[in-house]
Amino acid sequence: MSIADQALTEDLASRDDMIVCTGVSKWFDDFQALKGVDVTVKDREVMVVLGPSGSGKSTLIRCINRLEVHQEGSIFVDGIELTNDTRNIERIRSEVGMVFQQFNLFPHLSVIDNVTLAPVWVRKKSKVEAEQKAIELLERVGIPEQAQKYPGQLSGGQQQRVAIARSLAMEPKIMLFDEPTSALDPEMIAEVLDVMKDLARGGMTMMVVTHEMGFAREVADRLVFMESGEVVEVGTPEHFFTNPREDRTKLFLSQIL
Amino acid sequence: MSDVTMTPTSPSNGASNRTSPLQWVRVNLFSSVSNTIQTIVFTAITLGLLRALLGQAFSEEADWTSVSTNLRLLMIYNYPADQIIRIWVSAAVVLLAAGLSLGAWKVEPGYTVGRLGRHLVGLGLFSLVTRLLLPVHAPDTVRTWLIIIGVVSLVAGVVVQRGDPDGDRVMGFGTVLSGVALTFLAVLWLVPFGQYGLVDGVLVAESGTTVASSTKVPWTVLLIIVVASHRVGIILGRALGRSLRAALAAFWVVGPAFVIFVILRDPAFDWAHVWSTDIPIAAMFGLGGAAVLYFVAAPGKTEVARAVGAMLFAFALFNWVAAFFGWYPMLQKVRISFLIFAIVVLLVPAFAGDRSTRRRVAGGWVAAMVVFHWLLTAINTESTLVITAPPFLGGFVLTVGIAYYVMLASFPLGVLLSLARTSKLPIFRVMSTGYIEVIRGVPLITVLFFFSIMLPLFLPKGMGISDLAAVFAGYTVFSAAYMAENVRGGLQSVRRGQYEAADALGLTTVQRTSLIVLPQALRVSIPNLVGQAIAVFKETSLIAIVGGFDLLRIANSTIPNQPDFLGQKRPGLLFISLVYFVFAYSMSKSSQRLEARLKDAQAR
Ligand SMILES: Nc1ncnc2c1ncn2[C@@H]1O[C@H](COP(=O)(O)OP(=O)(O)OP(=O)(O)O)[C@@H](O)[C@H]1O
Ligand SMILES: [Mg+2]
Repeated sequence: MSIADQALTEDLASRDDMIVCTGVSKWFDDFQALKGVDVTVKDREVMVVLGPSGSGKSTLIRCINRLEVHQEGSIFVDGIELTNDTRNIERIRSEVGMVFQQFNLFPHLSVIDNVTLAPVWVRKKSKVEAEQKAIELLERVGIPEQAQKYPGQLSGGQQQRVAIARSLAMEPKIMLFDEPTSALDPEMIAEVLDVMKDLARGGMTMMVVTHEMGFAREVADRLVFMESGEVVEVGTPEHFFTNPREDRTKLFLSQIL
Repeated sequence: MSDVTMTPTSPSNGASNRTSPLQWVRVNLFSSVSNTIQTIVFTAITLGLLRALLGQAFSEEADWTSVSTNLRLLMIYNYPADQIIRIWVSAAVVLLAAGLSLGAWKVEPGYTVGRLGRHLVGLGLFSLVTRLLLPVHAPDTVRTWLIIIGVVSLVAGVVVQRGDPDGDRVMGFGTVLSGVALTFLAVLWLVPFGQYGLVDGVLVAESGTTVASSTKVPWTVLLIIVVASHRVGIILGRALGRSLRAALAAFWVVGPAFVIFVILRDPAFDWAHVWSTDIPIAAMFGLGGAAVLYFVAAPGKTEVARAVGAMLFAFALFNWVAAFFGWYPMLQKVRISFLIFAIVVLLVPAFAGDRSTRRRVAGGWVAAMVVFHWLLTAINTESTLVITAPPFLGGFVLTVGIAYYVMLASFPLGVLLSLARTSKLPIFRVMSTGYIEVIRGVPLITVLFFFSIMLPLFLPKGMGISDLAAVFAGYTVFSAAYMAENVRGGLQSVRRGQYEAADALGLTTVQRTSLIVLPQALRVSIPNLVGQAIAVFKETSLIAIVGGFDLLRIANSTIPNQPDFLGQKRPGLLFISLVYFVFAYSMSKSSQRLEARLKDAQAR
């Protein structure tokens, strides 16, 4: 069994692959940020990515929707390989949603326009249809009453929930989260995590970089621990929180827990 | 950013209303010794300057007759007097659109009753101070009127301010407009317009023969049009919403050119030629283009559109090369149309959509082609006007017309240049950087000379360029470089996360740029862009040097050469300074308001 497929339960193993990274390497000038990373994410799986600062977690998930370009290895998303072909990139990006640490809402557009923008311009939906869907999504993330406001008028937690709704509006098959709660005040973390748990329960394939161990324990199917650009260990939450195999993992967990 | 809900911050002047004037004076002017000294020194300097200015305006040799008699010359230069109705119709069309636009966009400057009061008090104090500083030989009527105006507006100001102690009673824009219009009308009808002059230190006003007295009625009609169309704009805006605003925006792009080249210039169309050539060409581009656009604007046709667009673009560029070497004849407007069409085909797929979108795209194209070809034909047709001196546009109309179109044309050009300069492709970057740096290293006057004298030498045989077009082209090329730098500042302020979020949602580069990056960048650039617009407006005075008859040239050389006013420059120059100031100042004021409004909307 390859490192990418470690700790697959029987149920997971039988599912389709959604993300397959094989030997992915990435350099920033001379500095190698990813060193031959192998990771597989299965359909409807929630994969949490752990690791110390600078270990390449962000770089990895940003490679998956081509915000960064990897130089070696291959990445397949839902069976499509990420190459320089712009058509593939466009297809993958419209199937993969991404939520950023800094929300990155469009400040010049109202909440509803933030959510309907991509469905209208990328999916070519009609404005009416897109707005109906947007209201549904805002209800799902718990802030339908803020639809006409601008991002600057919302709290951090509300903004991050809008950002999630904005991604979901594209009806993605996969959602990527890069430390979605790290920029939030403590009292707002729960409201965002709740939305994410809800999403996971609904069967969304998710890859989540987070330091929220409670969330990882409760929701993750598997965790992957990275350090200095390498995958150190992959395992179920039970495995990680009871008897991790590698010393580096133990050290990291002892610091963070 | 962290509060759950934030009410938009109210303008800062709200707070100062609640302090009494005396308190305000103490806090702001005399809070400390150094502050007090500064206040006294600057008051003295200001009063001295005002005194000097009044001395000029009412000096014994000042003769304002040169200005009042030449008002028409200053406004429209040598436009034939028997055709003057065309000027009024043009003004009416533009003001009608202005009123409708103000209504349709629900422009609300947020002028409060309290502020009106403060402004009236200010006017009152200013009049009284002016009265005190008047030179001895200023006419008695002026003294009397200054006192009357001063006292009346002081009292009115205090009373009005009482009515709005908290400064939160907002006056509707309609009310403000009506107020301004009424004041203007009162001045027009009540103040004796005529030939002014100081005879032995006494102001004499002969009513009768001057333009000012013959324009009361048309001015009244114009002002009524503004006030009424604002009202209509609000009502129509509610009913039609976005489509009215789109139509008005289109008007502001082509309307003024229409006014200038069709209404003012009155081209003598050769109808046989129009039917045999112009209309078929327009129809071919309009209908053929619409069919192609309808096809490529369908979802999923991006690849086809790119290929077709690239081919068209190459063909369009080739046409220009061919024109340069004179390989085969082709009407200039066909070349231009091809180029525009190619660009539109390249850009449209980014905004493709369902059938109604495609129909809008195709319809919009047909409309654009009709207007565009009509305009081109009009420009290429001789004018019916019999004009004594060569330029058919001059004076204030020329200044405003050139300034407006230079701003309008150099803005998109500047945006493209700035995008090229920040692009990832080195070829774009190098070319646009070169262009910007070269232009910015050269004085405007050189560029204007180049375009009006040198450019005709480079053009292919039989392709002339009129003086006006040369000035317009040169000035646009010049201004675009500065616009580009201003926009670049804005582009740099857009955070990287915005690009990433747009990419992650699957937006194409064109969509990302036009929907996400530019709207934010332009907002940041507004103050600089308006600064550039003001510079453009003021520097139109340089077109005098390459043969245009703008305000400055008329005041500085035409009027002083008239037998009646030989050598009289001072009144004319003071007058046009005032005109320039009023326009520049109101532009800068409205940009401040626009900024505040946008900031309020986002509450960033
Ligand atoms: N654009 C870039 N240019 C150069 N180096 C970069 C760039 N982005 C990331 N790096 C480097 O790559 C390494 C991995 O960065 P990455 O952001 O993926 O780490 P991370 O695991 O997400 O850390 P954190 O928990 O702090 O977010 C870091 O050493 C970082 O300095
Ligand atoms: Mg990171």
